[in-house]
Amino acid sequence: MGQESDLRLFILQPSSGVPIYLQLIQQVRRMVASGLLTPGTELPSVREVATLYTVNPTTISKAYSLLENEGLLQRNRGKPMTIAAGRRVAVSLSQRLRQIESQVDALVLAARQLELQATELCQFIAKKMGEDS
Amino acid sequence: MSESLVTTRSLGKRFGNKSVLHDISLSVAPGSVVGIIGKNGAGKTTLLEILLGFSPASNGRAELFGEDSFALSSASKTRIGFVPQQDELINLLTGRQQLALIAALRGRWNAPLIERLQEIWEVPLDRLIQSLSGGERQKLSTLAALGHDPDLLVLDEPVASLDPIARRRFLQEMIALTQERTRTVLFSTHIVSDLERIADQIWILRGGTIAWAGPLDVLQESVVRLNITARQPLPRELPLSGCLSQQVAGVRASAVVSNWNAQLQGQLQEQFAAEIQVEPLGLEDIFVEFHT
Repeated sequence: MGQESDLRLFILQPSSGVPIYLQLIQQVRRMVASGLLTPGTELPSVREVATLYTVNPTTISKAYSLLENEGLLQRNRGKPMTIAAGRRVAVSLSQRLRQIESQVDALVLAARQLELQATELCQFIAKKMGEDS
Repeated sequence: MSESLVTTRSLGKRFGNKSVLHDISLSVAPGSVVGIIGKNGAGKTTLLEILLGFSPASNGRAELFGEDSFALSSASKTRIGFVPQQDELINLLTGRQQLALIAALRGRWNAPLIERLQEIWEVPLDRLIQSLSGGERQKLSTLAALGHDPDLLVLDEPVASLDPIARRRFLQEMIALTQERTRTVLFSTHIVSDLERIADQIWILRGGTIAWAGPLDVLQESVVRLNITARQPLPRELPLSGCLSQQVAGVRASAVVSNWNAQLQGQLQEQFAAEIQVEPLGLEDIFVEFHT
């Protein structure tokens, strides 16, 4: 771990309007919920993330601290933070849905503007997710 | 480390009859990176000059390191590094001679840091300063301000003449320099997207006064656009507190508010029997909204 490829774990967009710390928190939550990040996985250090994405390190450490408070991350003395153990994918469907609610809101708005029907949109999403039959 | 590095209380400045700054009360905690944004003529440079003690306040007070800014001890002056908008480099010297001169005046000089930055920023040190481009002068001027390891670095429009690549390198080094949180940075800029990367505090200066000051995260979370869809036609003007702008058309409305929180969302949904979609705004949009 700690390789370049792992550092690009996140997509941080400073100009998106969503505070960077929140972008990071949401992405870690999602990746843990989906099982992409498993307990014990090391996260890149605050310094690495700040340098790679050219963002203020305070922002990154704020995100990590909040995730630690949530019990999602574990701080290890002198070592990288890791995904906490014992917090298996016990996140309920409704909780996971809530985590993408803001993106869905934006999608719904755009779909309305384009006068798309819910079924048409759902089919399209299913296709994108490779779940169409 | 809870002392406030910079404090102003009801600070005002007039030039003759013209009030340039009024009623500015701010403080900066050590280790912060403060971005100051404002239109031309909003008072950014004047504010920085008063904070640094170059010019006295007309009203109120400005303090630096706990001392009156306009009566700073020489010990405190050595803790400041300043990069002015118009550099004060000597045209007939080479960059190397200029830095050597400043190093001699300062007495303390972090040569390894300056060498490293000079390499990363590709500052040509052996050419006469008069032959340097605007961007090169700006970088040299920043090196001159950093060599004595100041606790407070103040930059007035530091990236204005840098190209995007140079700006990115500049910002990366600023991040590295503030990594240990022992150095405080104040900088004014027009390039708002840079602030989203490196500032943790934002001051929006408008017409000589502070329109908003606080953490960048809080600013982004409290200033949002609401897209409102109601079941019944909405009143022509929505009674929204902290509203910066709004357009209402039938059952739909779009409004930008400056005091958003989850509680308010619930209240509004009930009040208007409406669906409210919250759209985050980039700092540039926020800045524009404060000026409409």
